Amino acid sequence: MLLPLIGLIIGVIAGSFFPLMIPVEYAKFMSVALLAALDSVFGGLRAGAEEKFDNTVFVTGFFTNALMAAGLVYVGERLGIDLYYVALLAFGMRVFQNLAIIRRYFLKK
Amino acid sequence: MLPIRQGQVAIAVVCAVLGFMLAVQFRTTQDIKSSIPFQRIEDLSQRLSQTEKERDTLLKQMHEFRQTPELESVAKESENIRMGAGVVALEGKGLILTVDDSKRLSKAGDNPNLYLIHDEDILKIINELWAAGAEAVSINEQRLIATSEIRCAGPTLSVNNTRYSPPYEIRVIGEPQTLENSLKMRGGVIETLQFWGIQVSLKKQEIVQVPAYKGTFRFEYAKPVKDGGK
Repeated sequence: MLLPLIGLIIGVIAGSFFPLMIPVEYAKFMSVALLAALDSVFGGLRAGAEEKFDNTVFVTGFFTNALMAAGLVYVGERLGIDLYYVALLAFGMRVFQNLAIIRRYFLKK
Repeated sequence: MLPIRQGQVAIAVVCAVLGFMLAVQFRTTQDIKSSIPFQRIEDLSQRLSQTEKERDTLLKQMHEFRQTPELESVAKESENIRMGAGVVALEGKGLILTVDDSKRLSKAGDNPNLYLIHDEDILKIINELWAAGAEAVSINEQRLIATSEIRCAGPTLSVNNTRYSPPYEIRVIGEPQTLENSLKMRGGVIETLQFWGIQVSLKKQEIVQVPAYKGTFRFEYAKPVKDGGK
């Protein structure tokens, strides 16, 4: 568990000092991609806890989820459908679900 | 202590990416909050584009209306009103009258006033001209408008608050023959005036120019009636 935490801290530090700014118009897509990434991480943690972890599935899932979420929101905006909230709801629910399962594993231990 | 043993490295890498994204997003959100809310920008830009679209359609409509005859009639009406108000110089067929005091010496015992031009004489002439269909009248470069006065001011004549002494030149636009007949009829204005020796000369002309009213309109007490007024 220590390794993912270290990775997270390194990422946060790198992001804080990296001179990259997302244009305001794209902040929405970025937030959805972020939520998708969060979902993937929790999914990975859950899989790890369940001893069903697959490296390829996890890594590809992470990137495709994030990109697809942002892409879908973009398409939705073009079509006039607020897919933003749909994506938010779906990923949010999954995050909490995964969190609940992980919590149970911790408690069982 | 920890149940997760599989895929620690992969999760760590992904977590690093996640952390990176988190930090960037955090900074961006902070930046947005410190400037203008995103929703507001979206709202305003949408409204701007909508207003621009509206403006474009209105401009197009304006161009269309300018080319339709409907507006031409409105323009013609305003031109008519301006002509009637006397604020534009006009020209056309008409008469030029010159009226001068009598050269005859007054006989002893006669009132010398009778041999001079008075406001009444000019008013009679003007009245006759209007009745004969005059479209525009001026006296010595003063266009007669709705509020023009013709009044004796001592030995001079006051028109549009400007004083003139004889001879007076009256310019009229209208059908020349009708105007002439109206003045020259038997027992008419000219005959009466000539009885006293007042000189009236009359010239029919193809082009008579009547100047525009040069003053301003002032309405201190009059106000248009609000509801329709028609």
